[in-house]
Amino acid sequence: MPVVELKGIKVEVDEDGFIQEPDSWSEELAAAIALTEEVETLTEDHWKVIHYLRDYYQQFGIAPMIRKLCKDTGFQLKYIYELFPSGPAKGACKIAGLPKPTGCV
Amino acid sequence: MTDNGKFTDERFQLTDEKTAIALDVLRKRLNRQLDAALEVCVRCGLCADSCHYYVANPKPEHVPAFRAEQLRKVYRRYFDPIGKLAPGWVGAAELDQEMVEKLINAAFGTCTMCGRCVINCPMGVDTRQIIRTARAMLTAIDMTPEGLKATVNVHLEAGNNMGVSEEDFVETLEWMEEELRAELGDASIKIPINKPHARVVYTFNPREVKYFPYLIQAAAKIFNAAGEDWTLSTESWDATNYGLFSGDDEASRKIASNLEAAINHLGADVLVMAECGHGYRSQRWEAENWLGRAYPFKVMSFVELQAQYIRDGRIRLDASVNPKRVTYHDPCNQARNGGIIDEPRYILKHAVMDFVEMEPHGAENFCCGGGGGMLSMTEFAKDRIAAGKVKADQILATGAEIVATSCHNCLDQLDEIRRHYKLKVKIQNLSELVAAAIIWPRQSGE
Repeated sequence: MPVVELKGIKVEVDEDGFIQEPDSWSEELAAAIALTEEVETLTEDHWKVIHYLRDYYQQFGIAPMIRKLCKDTGFQLKYIYELFPSGPAKGACKIAGLPKPTGCV
Repeated sequence: MTDNGKFTDERFQLTDEKTAIALDVLRKRLNRQLDAALEVCVRCGLCADSCHYYVANPKPEHVPAFRAEQLRKVYRRYFDPIGKLAPGWVGAAELDQEMVEKLINAAFGTCTMCGRCVINCPMGVDTRQIIRTARAMLTAIDMTPEGLKATVNVHLEAGNNMGVSEEDFVETLEWMEEELRAELGDASIKIPINKPHARVVYTFNPREVKYFPYLIQAAAKIFNAAGEDWTLSTESWDATNYGLFSGDDEASRKIASNLEAAINHLGADVLVMAECGHGYRSQRWEAENWLGRAYPFKVMSFVELQAQYIRDGRIRLDASVNPKRVTYHDPCNQARNGGIIDEPRYILKHAVMDFVEMEPHGAENFCCGGGGGMLSMTEFAKDRIAAGKVKADQILATGAEIVATSCHNCLDQLDEIRRHYKLKVKIQNLSELVAAAIIWPRQSGE
């Protein structure tokens, strides 16, 4: 697996840029990955989504449905796509350090 | 491990047992069509320019005939009389570790099985079939790249390729129904679930349910506006079938058979496949062969149905809602390999103000690079994006602001191309553009 250096942090990623070791995730790394996903600055709302995704993944071992994400964060569907222009899977989940999902993504 | 160091797991180590299994798969698949495809290549090289990998990066490994040659070498060594006696004379090769690695790179790594080389071959060689055969051999010996393998497995275990539970599926549909009622101010709008004897059963690509439910809304708007008698099945609703990509006919058959059973249980007349290229091709053109029987119902693409609604006046569209210039990307498995070429154009001419073709288009359209399950194989993502340069150039030349398509692998690949090549376009499904342009009956009656 290639190792990339993002903002001075060296990390192992797959060719789609998903980190390989969930434990290597940190907030600094998230901010660095965000830059590759059209998110310049991580706001409080971004962090709310990111922490929700990580907590859910740690508990259930899978990424949540966007239904759950919207319900539990109180954010509207449209707002999620505004926060993460490359989408919930490739954008939000990647920044939150979750693995690449199966299927057409 | 392969020369590029990508497949280091032990399952990628060839054993005598694996060699025997792989050759047995080849033996069983050798029929007149495959024999012909393996025998008649005249090495003219015309296929080179038909392949987006070669056009983007013209090196020998990117010529379709080169990829097919990897399996041909093995075929000659074990199935050609001269190849068995004098392998060096006819360029035959043992199926050893080195050969297996070449097959992985050729069949999974640099081919989307889009079929453009097939229609441009003067000898009619079906390289797509050769590649799927190589994939079938590799899958039989557990050498499928991890993401593709996992996608098939999750589908077989959970009933859909993203592992969405029935509870989550239903909750998402109910949520979308509520949102739709609020948006349209009409409490009679329905997303019917498990309705017996509905005329139409619709399906989704799981990513619509899990991550992009606004596409559920778009479909529901269209069905409601058309006054369709439609429903969804909780028993089986996933339009995809990654068995087509792994080459595993048994997995393909199981997945297709689950969907077939769900439609039969509801007693519907028509199975409508979501805007999903390979899902449509699998269920419409391949599955009856995998199953060994004909369906008692009709299978059609949502693209065909939308065109029919417009033609029959069941939905009316106001194109001025979509004033921006739109081009259309033909998904390989829907256009070239599925025969749906006129319908999306008919739809767009009614749904948008300024439709422009990319060149080439239709059956000759270039693959975006996301076909063949390539998106799920992260090991080859960099090559996939590099090969997408051809599509980026095609899009750029149209001056379009929106690229419409009707396949989720295309959608995601096109969006990655947009970002990588910095194109100022938005990628959308056909149904999004149609749903936005609907003239609701009560509005026109006001």
